[in-house]
Amino acid sequence: MGLMITVRDTASRRKNYIQIIICGILICFLAIVPLLTNSPYNLHIFILTLIYIIAAASMRFIMTSGQIPLAHGAFLGLGAYVSGILSKHFGISSWLTLLVAALVAMGVGTFISFPFARLKAFYYSMISLFFGVGMLQTIESFGKLTGGITGITGIPTLFHTASKVPFYYCFLALMLISLFILYRLEVSRIGWNLKAIEQSYLVAGSVGISVVQHRVLAVAIGCFFAGLAGGMYATYNVTISPSSFDMAATLWLIIYVTIGGMGNFAGPIIGTLVLFLLPQYYSGLKQYTPFISAAILFAVLYTFRDGLVSVPGLVVSFYKKRKKGRSKS
Amino acid sequence: MIILEVTGLTKNFGGLAAVSNIDMKVNGGEVLGLIGPNGAGKTTFFNLITGVIRPTKGQVVYKGKDITGKKPHEIAEMGIGRTFQLNPLFPNFTILQNVLSSFQLRPRSTLLGTFFNTRVYRNNEAYILEQSLEILKLVGLDKVKDEMAQNQPHGYQKMLGVARALAIKPELLLLDEPIAGMNPDEIDNTIEAIKRTSHLGVTIILVEHNMKILEICNRVIVINFGQKIVEGLPQEIKENPEVIRAYLGSGHDTKH
Repeated sequence: MGLMITVRDTASRRKNYIQIIICGILICFLAIVPLLTNSPYNLHIFILTLIYIIAAASMRFIMTSGQIPLAHGAFLGLGAYVSGILSKHFGISSWLTLLVAALVAMGVGTFISFPFARLKAFYYSMISLFFGVGMLQTIESFGKLTGGITGITGIPTLFHTASKVPFYYCFLALMLISLFILYRLEVSRIGWNLKAIEQSYLVAGSVGISVVQHRVLAVAIGCFFAGLAGGMYATYNVTISPSSFDMAATLWLIIYVTIGGMGNFAGPIIGTLVLFLLPQYYSGLKQYTPFISAAILFAVLYTFRDGLVSVPGLVVSFYKKRKKGRSKS
Repeated sequence: MIILEVTGLTKNFGGLAAVSNIDMKVNGGEVLGLIGPNGAGKTTFFNLITGVIRPTKGQVVYKGKDITGKKPHEIAEMGIGRTFQLNPLFPNFTILQNVLSSFQLRPRSTLLGTFFNTRVYRNNEAYILEQSLEILKLVGLDKVKDEMAQNQPHGYQKMLGVARALAIKPELLLLDEPIAGMNPDEIDNTIEAIKRTSHLGVTIILVEHNMKILEICNRVIVINFGQKIVEGLPQEIKENPEVIRAYLGSGHDTKH
């Protein structure tokens, strides 16, 4: 498979089998969720989780290149609005609008990242921050088309049934495909080049990695999936409003990624599960979600710097060390 | 054969001329030393050649082609490798991964090939692995190939810089202070490795202010305050009064 897999030793090959098994179990579990529960609320939460996993994973993909996309929430919004407007006002099929939303987000992302890709990665973060705020303002001020602050209601949906099950399976498939593509890109040479640029763009340039091209590519791919996730949100939720895509949305995504662990592909998935899915079930504590999430964030960052993904590895190495210590004494 | 020709190269930072009006010709296969005290403009000179910064004036011609103002990765593509004085590596990769990820150019995989893991891509990666191990052997790092680069001693990191630069199969290699901060053992090893590299037919330009490097140079150019002051054989350079003045100051001049 990827560049580094060619040089794997047996120990990491075993680890890889474990990873495949864990992935298999997770996918099986996700596949039978609609059979386990009848409540539409549960399915609703799970569908939103699937969408946020795509968003968080695509955000992390941009982060591997060292750029922090502070407009990722806004790109979700861009995708949602493109999809919503096209299907409501122009009567285009919802399936097609998903693709168009993704492509528009990718185009806009490329357009804003291109002039800044040759500077330090920090400048991309800055411009994306301004861009995110600006885009929401634009959406709010185009009253007729976008519905202003109240947003758009009555967007045509993908499936004309009362049940949420078709949505669930469709979005599960879309999520798995998206994650597969992002994973393949990450373990390939492109992914390693992005990591190389993150570590030192000077050295990367000196060995022939085109820094500008790779940074723009990372943003384009990340924004594509953000747009897709936004489009999914619009066709599922039927109503969209600017407030779902403001700075807070971006910050939540960043928190999901950091809690899960930025250094690992599974990070954003775990982060979203822990910080988005779990809080929906603290019964009665819902209004305290931000505080609880903040507490979790502090606790995780204080104890596991590399996020929740690193916990199993730490446990294993802890026991190995103890074993070694014992055999010595 | 002249592989690199620099004419009137100048770089001003504001009012300060870091490099001013340097002319030089580099013959294919030679080891050219570029020495001078701290702040003489040696590293700036490298950055100008490799496209990290653009020159204010002047021209760089590599193998008959004008490469002035091209981007770093384009220049690497044409076969000019370089090492850095500081942060010479990707700290979070292992030694082997550092070299693997430096193989960008030959053979090149397409985006779709990379994604679909085609046979061409897999063959390319297998070939790259083999070549990387060979390079690591050449610079003497094959024993620590699976260690994290950032945990390595300074000497190893510097050698890794050379290994990385070799991965682009350079015809011209620019080494920025390859022996700075090394202990005598490491210096001997590095000099050995540079000699071996030179025997492979790679043209080398070295920047140093440690005079010990003179023993492997065919020719030496001394620069100070951004200007070329002397050019000649290593032996002549050591005895040249202007060079001694540049390094030790002009104590006897102050008497008048």
